[in-house]
Amino acid sequence: MLEVVGLSKSFALAKPRGRPRGRAPAGPPDPREDGRRFHAIRNIDFTVQTGRIVGLLGPNGAGKTTLLRVLSTALRPSAGTATFDGVDIVREPLAVRRILGFLSGNTGLYGRLTPREMLVYFGRLHGLRGPELERRIDDLVDRLGMQSYLDRRNDTLSAGMKQRVSIARTLIHDPSVVVFDEPTTGLDVAAAETILRLVERCRDDGKTVLLSTHHMHEVARVCDRVLVVHQGELVFSGSVEQMREHGEGGTLDRALLSIVGEGADA
Amino acid sequence: MRSGILTVFRKELLEVGRDRKTLIFMIVLPLLLIPLIIQITTDFVADAEQEAASATLDYAIFGQERLPGLAETFASTPGFEAVPLDDPAQIPQAVTDGRIDLALVVEPLAQAGGQHVVQLHYNNAPLTSKVKPRTNEVLTRLGSDVRRERLEALGLGDPALQLGVAEPVVMVERGTAPMREVLGERIGGMLPYMFIIFCFLGAMYPAIDLAAGEKERGTLETLLLVPIPRHQVVLGKFLVVFTAGVVSAVLTLVGLGGWLALKGDELGGDIGAVMQSIGATDLVLIATMLVPTAAIFAALLLCISIYAKSFKEAQSYIAPLNMLVILPAFLAMLPGVELNWKTASIPIANISLAIKELIKGTMDYSVLVAILGSSTLLAAILLWISTLWFRREDVLFRQ
Repeated sequence: MLEVVGLSKSFALAKPRGRPRGRAPAGPPDPREDGRRFHAIRNIDFTVQTGRIVGLLGPNGAGKTTLLRVLSTALRPSAGTATFDGVDIVREPLAVRRILGFLSGNTGLYGRLTPREMLVYFGRLHGLRGPELERRIDDLVDRLGMQSYLDRRNDTLSAGMKQRVSIARTLIHDPSVVVFDEPTTGLDVAAAETILRLVERCRDDGKTVLLSTHHMHEVARVCDRVLVVHQGELVFSGSVEQMREHGEGGTLDRALLSIVGEGADA
Repeated sequence: MRSGILTVFRKELLEVGRDRKTLIFMIVLPLLLIPLIIQITTDFVADAEQEAASATLDYAIFGQERLPGLAETFASTPGFEAVPLDDPAQIPQAVTDGRIDLALVVEPLAQAGGQHVVQLHYNNAPLTSKVKPRTNEVLTRLGSDVRRERLEALGLGDPALQLGVAEPVVMVERGTAPMREVLGERIGGMLPYMFIIFCFLGAMYPAIDLAAGEKERGTLETLLLVPIPRHQVVLGKFLVVFTAGVVSAVLTLVGLGGWLALKGDELGGDIGAVMQSIGATDLVLIATMLVPTAAIFAALLLCISIYAKSFKEAQSYIAPLNMLVILPAFLAMLPGVELNWKTASIPIANISLAIKELIKGTMDYSVLVAILGSSTLLAAILLWISTLWFRREDVLFRQ
């Protein structure tokens, strides 16, 4: 189970963001700026049951990526904490990383390595060795159909092949929690479908999944629950059906706009 | 702890080994290009000197009637050819145009039997110019004849007495420094300069690729999420950059050594003798000096690379750093700059000067130990800063 309690993250601003001289203000001031700090996420609380898929929605710049980075221990929270099955992200970040997989649409590959070499590298970094590591690689290669390019350099692979290698890298240590940060961004229909099947497969395997996305059809298809973040705060938490009730005609797009305000860039 | 560092080290080494740009800077340049550059340079200089020594020098003489025998002496000397020139005022333009290589102007005698003063007009800019020594040789020969005639006219016919009157006191040089020290002083500064520059160049590309390159490719975030402490990631990367620097420096040594083994004889016996007189202990000590050098460069470059957002940004930071490396390394090549406790406190310059002392065979080993210690300490501090950088969110996720 994932429990998030009072999670906040702020960044120091190099200098207060002022309006350039002689220019009219571009819009209302960002409520997340406080003197010399930018509060990317503020006081977020939620709970996710094991084996569930939770969709994380919100406009660009809402704080979704910061939230996922804090949960995955890439960033340290300014306040609050979160626990994965009792393992605390602040006190035991290394233990969290052992049970967590992270896949982002922006994640790159080591172009001069082959998929096999990359899987061996990340497997070793996660403490896997010998037959156990080989077995894990063989399993992922079979599941993702990577046999034909396992020993080709990553920089020669197509976008779809690269995405499969990224998935295998994410799952090499068989994490119990998987975080997907806009994983289908820039992918064609076939590659995006691979990702969605993987997300569903993770749930079937009993893993907890956090999925950040802008695509409402993905939310409707795979998510058990939805969280909406806006201007760094959690503004909605509920089931997909509960979210639909916020929008005219029952569409998730309208519901999201209704939750975050019509003017938001969702 | 060790396995995390080794895993990162092995993977980064594998990637670096497959990067063509790194291989060129790390292996091809020091191993092949350095001997090639030295060969071309020495050939070029030798050809230029040979040409300057054997080329026919066109000359004009003014006031030859004031020094009898001058025109005849030059006319009878092979390699000199008289060219008519109307007026001494035309000399500078004639030299500039290349119509003449030199002009001699004999000044009027101050008194009968006095000293003849001959002005030499020539282009004194080219370093390889042989106009002055070749002209001086002819004038010295003429001067000897005039001196002999004048002394004979005074009744001094014995050549030994003539020398005693003409040059009553003669200094004969007997240097106490061994040939190794003399030549080491002249060429010893160049070798550490090359080692240091190629050590830096060899470490540069891996350093940029291993941190700023990871940010640019979007692979850094995945590395930050593996369950090993971040200082282990930095140490693994540092070891690869350090290895690249050491390999480059050693290959520079091998490239130079190979060239000297094949072509050293052409430089003359003295340099060959100097190279042979550098013992195994000195070579080990020179190699030892390169270890903290590579460590300093690896840590410094990694610091910058971790801070930079992209490959390009890292390159723009490292470009001015080149000067900070070249200038202290260059100090050892300057005449009069010696290794002492003051110069031993200047990073990089101290290593450059220490290698020069080792080549000369005049190393003060207490200073050597101090330089090794301070350089290792500096590398450790820079490495510590790298690990601090690698823990800072505002550095890793700079916007």
